[in-house]
Amino acid sequence: MILVPITFTGGVYRHDEVIDYIEDLGGYIIQKHEMAQEMVLQAVIPKEDIDRFTAFTKPLAGEVTESPLVGSEIAVVIPSLEIHHLPHSACDIAEYLRTVGAKTNMVGLARGFGKRISQLNDEERDVINEHDLAIYVLGNFETCIEEKFNGLRRGVNVPIILTGAPPLEALKRITDPPAAGYVGNLGRFMHRTRTEADISRLDAVVEETARVLNEIRDEIAHDPLSVSPARLKEVIENGVPEIQEVYSPTPLTVQLTGLRIKLPFDRYHDTIRSLPVEEDVTIGDTAWISPSRMRDYILVQIKPFSETHIVV
Amino acid sequence: MTLLDAFEVECFEEIGRDFYKQITETVLSDHNLTAVVSKLRIFIDPRIPIFVAVGTIRDAGAAVRISDIGSIQVQGDNTIISIRDETYLAQFLTRLYTIFGHDHVDQPDRFTVIISEVPIPENFENIEIVNRADTVLHDLIYAMTVIAPEGFKVRREYYGKRQFFYAASENTLPEHVVEEMVSAQFAEIGEEIV
Repeated sequence: MILVPITFTGGVYRHDEVIDYIEDLGGYIIQKHEMAQEMVLQAVIPKEDIDRFTAFTKPLAGEVTESPLVGSEIAVVIPSLEIHHLPHSACDIAEYLRTVGAKTNMVGLARGFGKRISQLNDEERDVINEHDLAIYVLGNFETCIEEKFNGLRRGVNVPIILTGAPPLEALKRITDPPAAGYVGNLGRFMHRTRTEADISRLDAVVEETARVLNEIRDEIAHDPLSVSPARLKEVIENGVPEIQEVYSPTPLTVQLTGLRIKLPFDRYHDTIRSLPVEEDVTIGDTAWISPSRMRDYILVQIKPFSETHIVV
Repeated sequence: MTLLDAFEVECFEEIGRDFYKQITETVLSDHNLTAVVSKLRIFIDPRIPIFVAVGTIRDAGAAVRISDIGSIQVQGDNTIISIRDETYLAQFLTRLYTIFGHDHVDQPDRFTVIISEVPIPENFENIEIVNRADTVLHDLIYAMTVIAPEGFKVRREYYGKRQFFYAASENTLPEHVVEEMVSAQFAEIGEEIV
């Protein structure tokens, strides 16, 4: 069963039926936003049931759209978050990706600015590596990007989308080894993105991100995960009631191949490791559980089928 | 940007140059400096790396007086000032507190200031609150810090009566190199550094 990410936008009225229907189809809710009378549900549902689900939501005046960014956690990496240089274009990029369903984190490097002096420390590297994808928002000069990019990507093993002011071809030319994706014509500009031309720059980022994420998904499909991250989310929600008391917007952040649990590692990792997913199969059997470099969170990385020979 | 007599950004990378031209325009208008700058020339070479901005200002002149900030109405014992332009409101209120004391000055809402139970001095509306000429070069240098690329922490700045320059790099460059570059840029806009 292939699960595809979707966004449902509709009214609060009878939305519990929509949630039930998604669960009946075998899908999972990833995030639920309730804003006054409006409801935005990000979920994954079986590919073959999209039409059935759309037909079900029609009488409720809901809208169903496929959104490839749902269920991914993306790092937006920026050389500095210096106050003199606000507003940063990266803020708009991170925010825009959120509107289409991704969970983005901004990673402002401590000493990432400059050409000769730019650095990436081990904490920053590890935090970036905990994401599905990193978007590097670099500046306006080809000369600088060429020199600093290799330093800033050292040790980063997640796919990188490189963005900057030079056109796409120039970015491709100056990166060796190549990055997973490129978006040109972005760079540093000192205004918020309001005009149509600016928005189309952001759309280009979304498009490229979706393309790279789909490539990652295809790669995962060759050696499928032992359990779907969305399912694991549900298991933890039911098994660890304390998660309901966490005030983060996403107490359980779903990634393409894992989860970030916003509970203290020391106190909860044993509980989570021994939670049963199905009879005789615990979370510990299907995933690596390690402390996250982000605060004291727990990072769950699901093992592939080739490792466990289990699919639940 | 039509207000500037001369404005140019020089860089061997065309795309970077266009971006910096746009950044400069945005920053100057955000800081209300477009009307103040007369000539501005920016030179960037990311290979050295260096960022040099040189320019001259117009007579920034005009003092901001109370009559520019709002209109004054006397109603019995009270004087009511309706604020038109709140740019210098903070400095204006500070001045009122010094003249009349906190007990007699009240701001019931954003656009109203009431001075109660004290006589208003003659020529009250002509009291000078801010003189832009005192701060404009300062503001300009700050704007240059904003425009300059991130990470260019080693900087040298100068402002005289009419001219200013701002040079920044991430490396410590020899003094004579910077000076030569700055005077070359001044020569480009038909000026000689004083």
